[in-house]
Amino acid sequence: MVYTKRTPWTLIMGVIMVAYAYLVQSGALAGLIKYLGTARYTGEMLTLGYTFGGIAILIGLWQLIAKNAEGHVDYYLSTVGGVTFIMLVAFIVKWGLDPQMGQWGRAAQPTLGFNFASVMNLNYVVMGIISGIVIVNVFKVPGWAENGVRLSRLGLKTGVILLGALYSFAELQQLGKLSVVLIGIFVLGSVGLVLWWGARRNLPNSMTGVLSAGVGVCGVSAAVAAAPVVQAKSTEIAYTIGTILLFGVICMFAFPIVGKALGMGYITFGAWAGTGILNSAQVAGAALAFQPGGIETLKVAEIFNITRVLFLPIIVIWLAIWYVKREVGAQKVDIAHVLISKFPLFVLGFILMFLLSSTGIFAPARHYQGSYFDNSDKVMIKKDRSGKEINNYLKAPDLEVLKKESEKIKRDDQKAALQRLIENKKLMSIEDDDTLRGVVNAKILSKEGNAILVLHFRPGRARHADHDGVDQAGGRSAAGGRQRGRRGQGRGFADRSDAVCPRDYLRRMQKWLKTNSTVAPR
Amino acid sequence: MAEDKFDRGTALTIFGSDRHEDLVALIVALVIALLVYLYV
Repeated sequence: MVYTKRTPWTLIMGVIMVAYAYLVQSGALAGLIKYLGTARYTGEMLTLGYTFGGIAILIGLWQLIAKNAEGHVDYYLSTVGGVTFIMLVAFIVKWGLDPQMGQWGRAAQPTLGFNFASVMNLNYVVMGIISGIVIVNVFKVPGWAENGVRLSRLGLKTGVILLGALYSFAELQQLGKLSVVLIGIFVLGSVGLVLWWGARRNLPNSMTGVLSAGVGVCGVSAAVAAAPVVQAKSTEIAYTIGTILLFGVICMFAFPIVGKALGMGYITFGAWAGTGILNSAQVAGAALAFQPGGIETLKVAEIFNITRVLFLPIIVIWLAIWYVKREVGAQKVDIAHVLISKFPLFVLGFILMFLLSSTGIFAPARHYQGSYFDNSDKVMIKKDRSGKEINNYLKAPDLEVLKKESEKIKRDDQKAALQRLIENKKLMSIEDDDTLRGVVNAKILSKEGNAILVLHFRPGRARHADHDGVDQAGGRSAAGGRQRGRRGQGRGFADRSDAVCPRDYLRRMQKWLKTNSTVAPR
Repeated sequence: MAEDKFDRGTALTIFGSDRHEDLVALIVALVIALLVYLYV
């Protein structure tokens, strides 16, 4: 079977992508970019447009000109059309539909009384998923794109494996106890509940067994792994997978809306989604829909989801014993063989990537130390090398500055976040941290006020520079910032926070601090 | 059946089995990690 379709569409899509990147680069689309407010995406528009467009043009030309013969080259290169199609849809959604929807939401707010785009959580992740559902079910995937669309699951699994590189032992220690206890209760409770309920409803043992593994552990992989142990029929496996995925699709849209309505934080929502939604890809979808601009929620959600998969061996053994006890004459299954052949390898890949990352080969060894929000005293009050205590709480002069400047803030959420900071002399949540980054980014306060805020962001989080800045050089104060500035080591905000507080902005601030002594030294 | 349209893989994947797909995902991820290690 020859999979490559002789179609001009791959070439056309490639030309569109390259042309778009060129127009962005030349400034011809500056007006549109300004209107949509997508200037921050210019870099990725150029990189992705030229890269994917160039590949699509080359392969598209080859597909049109060359005589395609059956074989591996035909099979794998035929995926390029579909991948380009997916990328083009993603570009349109992220750089066009998403900002436009935001504008429509704001424009309709006076009439409707609420911002429908915000309330319905219509960000690019949600709209991308909806676009995929509509294309597949209403318009149908074009024949030339079918093979590429079948490659999307590979991208998801690769993404989950790579996500392992974003964790560290220190972070897992922070989440470890909570996640293991929660997941243990959820997994064992869910399996037990389904087994009990299945027996009460007189379902076949094989159906009950495979369904319990599916809803208890991690969805499709668990259902497939448990199937031979409970001798499930193919229809029962299909029924289980259908139930899990349909439930997941509903949750993927409902969870972020409910999470925002209840005012959940990143960790709370991540824990909920990672435990409540079964399929890893759907967990990622819900987490990104909840927090499209960052990865904190995604990280918490995926570690909960992956930890759940690690319960799979326990559940398979439990089901094997349960099934043999209930089914007279049931064939004994080699559990070790089932586990080895069915355990999802990408979960092991995630762990491998985590171990590699922990050696520090991708980033400085302490890069991800305590990436989660921690404002406890052990973080706020530290000792330097000489044993001198460093207090990172806001000092009286800084508090006075912030109190005076709080009147400049108009937005209620920003006002409340600053008020909490002033009252507690430290940031009280990761949400307040993000909110006040918005204040800094918008330059609402004076330079001095911004400098104070910047130096108190994300307590307990050692960033790229903080391992030689905060930990060793001194406390989080405007004076500490000046100290780091002199040493040329103040390289904070090099992670995703770049979007909110860019590195060059901090450098400018440090330069300003060098020449201004209005902030009291400590 | 959707599977009948393809003589290789299924309607969900171009690979012959989940294990095969997982293995390719692992290799792709390691290649990306290697590139990050070398160039970033």
